[in-house]
Amino acid sequence: MGLLSLLRKLKSSPDKELRILLLGLDNAGKTTILKHLASEDISHIMPTQGFNIKSVSSDGFKLNVWDIGGQRNIRPYWRNYFENTDILVYVIDSADQKRFEETGAELGELLEEEKLGGVPVLIYANKQDLFNASSPGEISEGLDLSQIRDHAWQIQPCSAITGEGVREGMDWVFKNIKSGKGKKK
Amino acid sequence: MISMMGNCIAWTKKKREPRRAVTLVILGIDNAGKTVATKGFQGEPVEDVAPTVGFDVAEFKFQKFDITLYDLGGRKNFRDVWHNYLAEVHGVIYVIDSSNHERIEETRLALKNLIEHPCIGGKPILILANKQDLDNALDELDICDRLNLEELVNQNKCPTRVELCSALSGTGKKMDKPIKEGMLWLLERISGDFESLGERVNKEKEAQRQREAEERKLKRERVRKIKEEREKKE
Ligand SMILES: Nc1nc2c(ncn2[C@@H]2O[C@H](COP(=O)(O)OP(=O)(O)OP(=O)(O)O)[C@@H](O)[C@H]2O)c(=O)[nH]1
Ligand SMILES: Nc1nc2c(ncn2[C@@H]2O[C@H](COP(=O)(O)OP(=O)(O)OP(=O)(O)O)[C@@H](O)[C@H]2O)c(=O)[nH]1
Ligand SMILES: [Mg+2]
Ligand SMILES: [Mg+2]
Repeated sequence: MGLLSLLRKLKSSPDKELRILLLGLDNAGKTTILKHLASEDISHIMPTQGFNIKSVSSDGFKLNVWDIGGQRNIRPYWRNYFENTDILVYVIDSADQKRFEETGAELGELLEEEKLGGVPVLIYANKQDLFNASSPGEISEGLDLSQIRDHAWQIQPCSAITGEGVREGMDWVFKNIKSGKGKKK
Repeated sequence: MISMMGNCIAWTKKKREPRRAVTLVILGIDNAGKTVATKGFQGEPVEDVAPTVGFDVAEFKFQKFDITLYDLGGRKNFRDVWHNYLAEVHGVIYVIDSSNHERIEETRLALKNLIEHPCIGGKPILILANKQDLDNALDELDICDRLNLEELVNQNKCPTRVELCSALSGTGKKMDKPIKEGMLWLLERISGDFESLGERVNKEKEAQRQREAEERKLKRERVRKIKEEREKKE
């Protein structure tokens, strides 16, 4: 399912422009997910040094997805993109248990940012095609997600390679925008 | 409606009581109707909800109460997360899909694990026997029986009430009557015992906070080491 068909579902939404911020550690699969959403080729993807944006218009509606590199030296720049975010999509590599604590800590710090106050968080538990991928319960405990009390959060297991689960995650995003939670409090 | 260990407190007494902040959690296995019921309390549309594999918080006023309600996912591989939220709640809403006979045993086990948690014993529990609009819905006696409810709640000293309901039938002011009445019962039980319940919640919350602070300290230390090692390599 491409961005355009996703957008059609959004017609009834009162918002005119949506800003989705795609963050996560390096190698989590952010760019692959973005390309998958845009129905682009995913065979040659390099680590992102700056950012990628996909922006599609339909019926006066605009969906802007910002994908920012996750390498450690780039992370301090994440904050430049916080303004006016409607939904935070946080991508993790579900099979890289060694980095759960690090990625959980990064997410915890992100959500303390005032500019992201009240923004719902979709966590793409990516790379579910790998045999040792963790389940939502394990991920929640591993990333210490229960400390997050002032944002709605949702774990969506997915694989950016097979495409499984990616669309369901976007469905959750739309439902949470419709109910008005995407707007800043 | 069936009440166990529950006496109603005089209506008039409540009127004089101050506004109270109450924290609740809504639990049950996946597809029971928790999110629909939560939307009903908030007066939001109840159609078109997505399955929850995560956490949402609903804040709303209900009579003289300011309620914080945690809505958690009920999927099997997510239920282990519930325990993180139990210390701070004054009471529990447990939702059942009464029409799904195949999963009633799973429902019983999840409820048993919940009620036997040290932070839940003694706290009031409202059981919403949901989806009564469906033909094959179990009635309240069946439900008490299949959940082994009497023994379970008596052993763990949980005042319990079962309401037959249909969460999908309305929202806000048009919300399902049994749910509203069940909620009133739950809040009455809580306010009737507010001081000791509040004391207990504070104590258990503090104990949990300390435990978590210890864990986080160790964790931060580990993350710092990993970062340092990586920096050396780079
Ligand atoms: N097995 C598997 N590999 C994946 C999946 N998604 C992404 N990858 C691989 O993971 C690697 C990193 O993917 P990217 O999309 O570049 O990751 P990123 O999060 O954008 O990384 P940065 O740009 O460095 O922040 C690539 O080799 C992808 O092919 C997945 O679902 N399953
Ligand atoms: N017939 C009928 N369907 C209902 C009722 N309440 C909820 N449902 C349906 O049951 C399904 C699950 O409802 P949810 O509220 O998402 O269930 P949940 O308990 O939050 O499930 P998880 O989030 O997966 O844990 C939805 O399709 C609802 O429309 C009801 O009273 N009657
Ligand atoms: Mg990238
Ligand atoms: Mg739900």
